[in-house]
Amino acid sequence: MKNIKIIIGLFVFLSVFTACEDWVDFDPHDEFKITDLDYLKSESDYRTMAVSCYTPMQWLNQMYVLADVATNNATAGGESASDVGRLQELDDYTTTPNNSLMEDLWESGYEGINRANYLIARKELNPAGESIEFIGKDEMYGEIYFLRAYYYFSLVKVFGDAVLFTHDRLVVSDFGSLQRSPKAEVYAQIELDLNTAIAALPAVNTQDGRINKYIAQALLGKILMYQEKFDEAASMLENVINGPYILVNDFDSMFLKEGENGSESILEVQYSNGKPYYNWGGVTRGQGNLAAQQCGVRGLVGSADMPYAAGWSTTLPTQDLYDAYDNGDQRREATCFDIEAYKVNNPELGITYQVAPYKNTGFYNKKYLPRKGQTSGQIELNYENNHRIIRLSDVLLLAAEANNRASASNDTKAQGYLNRVRARAFGDDSHAITVTGDALKQAIWKERRLELAMEGDYFFDLVRTGQAASKIAGFVAGKNEVFPIPQREIDVSGLTQNSGY
Amino acid sequence: MILKLFSKRTNLVLVMLSFLVFGISNAQAQNSVSGIVLDETGSPLPGASVVEKGTTNGTSTDFDGNFSLNVASEASILSISFIGYQDQDVSATGSPLTITLQVDANALEEVVVVGYGTQKITKVTGAISTVKSATIDKLKPVRVEEALQGQASGVSVIQSGAPGSKPTVFVRGIPNYKGGDPIVIIDGVEQSLDDLSAINAADIESVNVLKDAATTAIYGVKGGNGVIVVTTKIGRKNQAAEFTFNSYVGQQEVLKKVGVLNATEYGAIINEGSTISGGPIIFPDLSVLGVGTNWQDEVFKTAGISSHSLTARGGGENMTYFLSTGFLSQDGIVGGGEKSNFNRLNLAANLNFDLTSKIKLIVNTNYTNIKNQSIGAQTAFNSILGNALNFDPTVSVLNTDPNTIGTYGFSNLITGDIFNPLTRLENTYNKHNGNKFFGKIELQYEIIKDLRITSRFGYTKWDQSSKEFLPLAFYGPLHVSSDFLSDGTLIDGNHNKVIESTISTFKYTHETFANYNISINEKHNFDAVLGLSLSKSTGNTTNVSREDVPFNSWDFADISSATGNNTSENPSAYVGRTSNYSTKKNLSYFGRINYDYKDKYLASFLGRRDGSNTFGKDNKFANFFAGSLGWVVSEEDFFNSETIDFLKFRGSYGTSGNDNIDRAFVSVVTGGPSYGPTQNSNGYTFDGVFLNGSTIDTYSNETLRWEEQTQLSVGFDLTLLRNFSLTADYFEKNVDGLLFIEQPSFYAGTPRRPSANIGSTETSGYEFNLGYNLNKENFKFNTSFAFSTFTSLVTATDASGTATLSGGSIFNGISQSVTRFEKGFSPGYFYGLQTDGLFQTQADIDASPTQNGAVPGDIKFVDLNGDGVITNLDRTKIGNPFPDFTLGWSLGFEYKNVDFSMFTYTSVGNDIFRGYERGANFTNKFRSVLGRWTGPGSTNDANNPRYTFNDANSNNRSSDRYIEDGSFVKIKNVLLGYTVPSSLYNDKWFSKIRIYAQAKNLFTFTEYSGFDPEIAGGIFGTGLDEGAYPQSRTISVGVDLKF
Repeated sequence: MKNIKIIIGLFVFLSVFTACEDWVDFDPHDEFKITDLDYLKSESDYRTMAVSCYTPMQWLNQMYVLADVATNNATAGGESASDVGRLQELDDYTTTPNNSLMEDLWESGYEGINRANYLIARKELNPAGESIEFIGKDEMYGEIYFLRAYYYFSLVKVFGDAVLFTHDRLVVSDFGSLQRSPKAEVYAQIELDLNTAIAALPAVNTQDGRINKYIAQALLGKILMYQEKFDEAASMLENVINGPYILVNDFDSMFLKEGENGSESILEVQYSNGKPYYNWGGVTRGQGNLAAQQCGVRGLVGSADMPYAAGWSTTLPTQDLYDAYDNGDQRREATCFDIEAYKVNNPELGITYQVAPYKNTGFYNKKYLPRKGQTSGQIELNYENNHRIIRLSDVLLLAAEANNRASASNDTKAQGYLNRVRARAFGDDSHAITVTGDALKQAIWKERRLELAMEGDYFFDLVRTGQAASKIAGFVAGKNEVFPIPQREIDVSGLTQNSGY
Repeated sequence: MILKLFSKRTNLVLVMLSFLVFGISNAQAQNSVSGIVLDETGSPLPGASVVEKGTTNGTSTDFDGNFSLNVASEASILSISFIGYQDQDVSATGSPLTITLQVDANALEEVVVVGYGTQKITKVTGAISTVKSATIDKLKPVRVEEALQGQASGVSVIQSGAPGSKPTVFVRGIPNYKGGDPIVIIDGVEQSLDDLSAINAADIESVNVLKDAATTAIYGVKGGNGVIVVTTKIGRKNQAAEFTFNSYVGQQEVLKKVGVLNATEYGAIINEGSTISGGPIIFPDLSVLGVGTNWQDEVFKTAGISSHSLTARGGGENMTYFLSTGFLSQDGIVGGGEKSNFNRLNLAANLNFDLTSKIKLIVNTNYTNIKNQSIGAQTAFNSILGNALNFDPTVSVLNTDPNTIGTYGFSNLITGDIFNPLTRLENTYNKHNGNKFFGKIELQYEIIKDLRITSRFGYTKWDQSSKEFLPLAFYGPLHVSSDFLSDGTLIDGNHNKVIESTISTFKYTHETFANYNISINEKHNFDAVLGLSLSKSTGNTTNVSREDVPFNSWDFADISSATGNNTSENPSAYVGRTSNYSTKKNLSYFGRINYDYKDKYLASFLGRRDGSNTFGKDNKFANFFAGSLGWVVSEEDFFNSETIDFLKFRGSYGTSGNDNIDRAFVSVVTGGPSYGPTQNSNGYTFDGVFLNGSTIDTYSNETLRWEEQTQLSVGFDLTLLRNFSLTADYFEKNVDGLLFIEQPSFYAGTPRRPSANIGSTETSGYEFNLGYNLNKENFKFNTSFAFSTFTSLVTATDASGTATLSGGSIFNGISQSVTRFEKGFSPGYFYGLQTDGLFQTQADIDASPTQNGAVPGDIKFVDLNGDGVITNLDRTKIGNPFPDFTLGWSLGFEYKNVDFSMFTYTSVGNDIFRGYERGANFTNKFRSVLGRWTGPGSTNDANNPRYTFNDANSNNRSSDRYIEDGSFVKIKNVLLGYTVPSSLYNDKWFSKIRIYAQAKNLFTFTEYSGFDPEIAGGIFGTGLDEGAYPQSRTISVGVDLKF
């Protein structure tokens, strides 16, 4: 009897006693969760986090599609008018703020910026307040500054004025509190970051895909061109031209697997087809390159020797682009793939295919045509084709233009650079350009189109050089230089919309 | 096997019983008195309690209703009681006595179980729906919720047909997007709706659903979705063991099949679709096709169901017991019992001990074992049913090609996505085995009279192990999912795989509270409770998969016999993963005072302070209050009515909450691609080698708090002429600080979106319960109606009003999401375009808003926003999956030995999205395609556009084309029973023998074209029919024995 009362007393006491309010404190460690405070404790943490600052570069693959579809270089193609609707809008100049591609690019770019910001903000002290030093830390931070500049450049190119923040990754209380900054301020920050990067980066790549000093200089040169700072651009680009890069004689081979990260390649976004694969959960956010699948020939079947894989017939090069090349220019066939001609010329391959059902041009983007054996897992999403972002020829043409348009114009130098590119294209020197002044500038601009077509540059080049309204049907000057800010971002964050949208 | 198992269990329980039944102490007394206790029909009542009044001396009647007892003197008074009957006192003179007990027909004497106590029903001021064991006994539900459907007003139950699967349950509307699972309290211990699959219906005494703030606020932050209080049976003191045995066996079959094309019709429509889009004729000779195969006929099977349960209850002077064992086995009608089944074994013991006159110990222990097999996904188009509806009808059931492996036929047209359902079924292997222990240990200590302290430890332990085998399979020589070539050669790189997983969870609640009842001058009655509660739940899962199971056989499907090892080419041949469940902890204080003045004026006030580790640091605690008032008009002196026996008005107002959210903290994720909702992927490739990366994956939100739900509820209870009863309720329920996934600024990047208190919803509704009871000698009749209706509206989601949540993903050629939770609409509404007939001519198209790709015969969509072009912006509400109202109608009568009962459930206004039409070029089509547009003027029905392989207009976009009215009337239950008169058998063994025949889901009256208009799926899946597992018609026969 007495014992029972003691037991009950204990029972009651225990439940009251244990009930202090600490009971409901939540500690993520109870669930073995890694929080920010547990991380960035070692060199390896820093380096692993730096890897993910590169990741959003892969997510921007539709930016390179956009830059040709939105011009007379390519049509959207696809299965029907309602297929790949977001590309159709770009093609038809009916893009609205609800085009989900805008959201995709905007969000991807900003995730890159947030990742870089987070790491930069913890350069001196980690979240736990400790200082983690290791050999090569400054060089590693050079990569991070470069990447932040790259993401801001992508955003400012596509959207104009951008929301500018560099202090840290944004947190819940920041949502909706920021506004767009003028383009000039964004460019100033980009230049600052790139100069910081150039000072820290090594000249030699340790690995394919890593950022080195020349890459940062090439990007800075390009950005100076976008701001029409021709004198500075000319000297910055000169650094790269004097670097270790060499033009590849066989133009076509640069776009093969074997040509990746080749002697001409300055900046390439790296993709792979290994595990872990990606799936339909987010088609542009995998390790593989969706853009390759997009530009393949629909229903393409052939013998085992036929190297190409089938795709979705989007981003089709136009007749206009094809016709822009002179006879003898090796870039024509390397850019515009005529499937019917290929079929007729190679009867032994037993090719059958479906004519592109919508906006057919007969041509396909040869530079990124999907190839058998270069994808795995969910095959549509995991092509390993790298995206070529900056090649030496691009730098040469920019330098040519910079020298042509510099305050002290140097057309001889400009011709030299331009003709290096042309000599490679034709395999001889007989197509050299000899004009000067404005005619030379026009020739350089034309050459940029031919050299870089279907590589994601043309639209931005036309806008930069003020030619867009005259070259693109449907382009409205004063509006279409930039794309609309995603409507949902306007709604959520109260940003101003670009004029005309 | 089942029978064998069962008999084993029977032995077990008998051993248990013999061990546990205590003897009854005999008092020292001189006068012997004996007699028989009968019910009003003259049948003996075994187990009735006979006690010498004023003493503890007593006994209970034997199987024949006889008793004998030594009493102090002939003047002693005997008190005879039996549950469900009015107590009777008789003098001990004149032995042998014959005592006839009267049924206690006065429902007003009942008590209901509420949180942390009980209340006399006349004094209840809150809104409670009750379902009693009598109803449950008749419905014989597999899961308890089945017995609430249409019986408990204010409770929406939408059932699924898959054996043992969880239905969708809402109490008083849909307050939030996470679903409205009410909490379940079993004998005072908190459980969840998932746990209701583990309880044997035969063990249940009553189920009360607490609906308004006055009753749910005592559960504070967990009460917001309503509370289902399940009370299980207990024994009675001084009563000999009473055994019941209930058993039934039945057959289940599908009620209806969906109209699809036969092979010839299919061939013709495929030819048309192909040629109209410029392709070749696929079937040059239709005459050879015949009717082909209707795959539904092949996958639907007649399936068995059986249930056996044995209970024993009784008690001695100082203890009572209720013991129960049950076994239920249900096979699935899709694929049959070999592939789809649910088997449940229950053992339960409820033991109450009087340790001293002041101290009680209550030990409730339940053990449940659930073994089941499933046919995999039950709702997607690639489910077995989805395949049966969409697969090629020209294929023969069995493979007729001698040069090709495979048991069943294959299609050379369908080469991906869709499979021969029989091959699919043949390659489906899984089993799940779960063990659950739940119950409580409770001590009650009566410190002084009417002051009782209760300390209770409740627990639930759940362990489940599962195994799944994905064999190498052959679906046809051209099918992309085939692992073999036609001749049986394995295609390089393919592997079979076995997956083993375990889940283990433990939850406990420790509660201590005091109940105090006091009456001042017998006028002012107080009933108070004060206490605290502490709870914690944890769990973990492991999942291991390994490739290369020997002989490609289920017999060897085990991690230990599989031989796969990781290589650089195949790093996932042998992988394992474990993860921890979130640890949830709560600390709560609660109190309640009920007051009444002479049973006439009623008032109640209650409060709870809840702490949860789910909330942000700034808001760890939440307070909830509720008050209610009642006025029993019929107790007033001035009230003098011959007709009205009882009339009470009542009203309540208060708050409760919901902590059903994820914790928000800053986390780091390391790895590669993310499959999460924001695709916050990591990693990059350097030198052609992929490197893992890391980044921030979640935000913290320190201000996160509970959802506050405010509910106003008013109603009245009325009893007329002793036999009629009416209960009516109106409620308004508003949720503020609705937990919603905020849409962060897009410039914040891609970490997972945090929950925030940014939304609100409003719900209101009516409920009526109308009953009539008649009790005559030899004839009893009762009928009742339960009517419920509610309207829920999302009034805010985030500051900009743009944050929406989408669900209901379907793939019918386009991957689309067809249900939404959005400001200004009802939760989970169907989202899509409106149609306006079909384009008849090109001129028609030219005169209409721009619709890319349209040609005559295509659907004309409505340009809702008037911008001159049809886009996704024109989408709007096209239907509501939740009914406008539901009505349950019960009818029962007993005449002499025959009893009959029937239950009909009506749901009106629930829309259905017909999502099972896969719509690929070569998948089978549905009969409606025969009425398609074939030329100008042929039809203007937007449901039947032209048929083509090249649908540039995307006629398959989500639109009202796919919405059907799913209103239905279901005869859910019909039961005819016969109690064998005791004169016909040797009543030495049995006190009651009843046999019955029962039909569940006998008929469904509906216009809906699919299998079953009742489609469960939470907020985003209810009413979305992707080939949902239909409920079966079950015909069974059973026997109830008492001895």
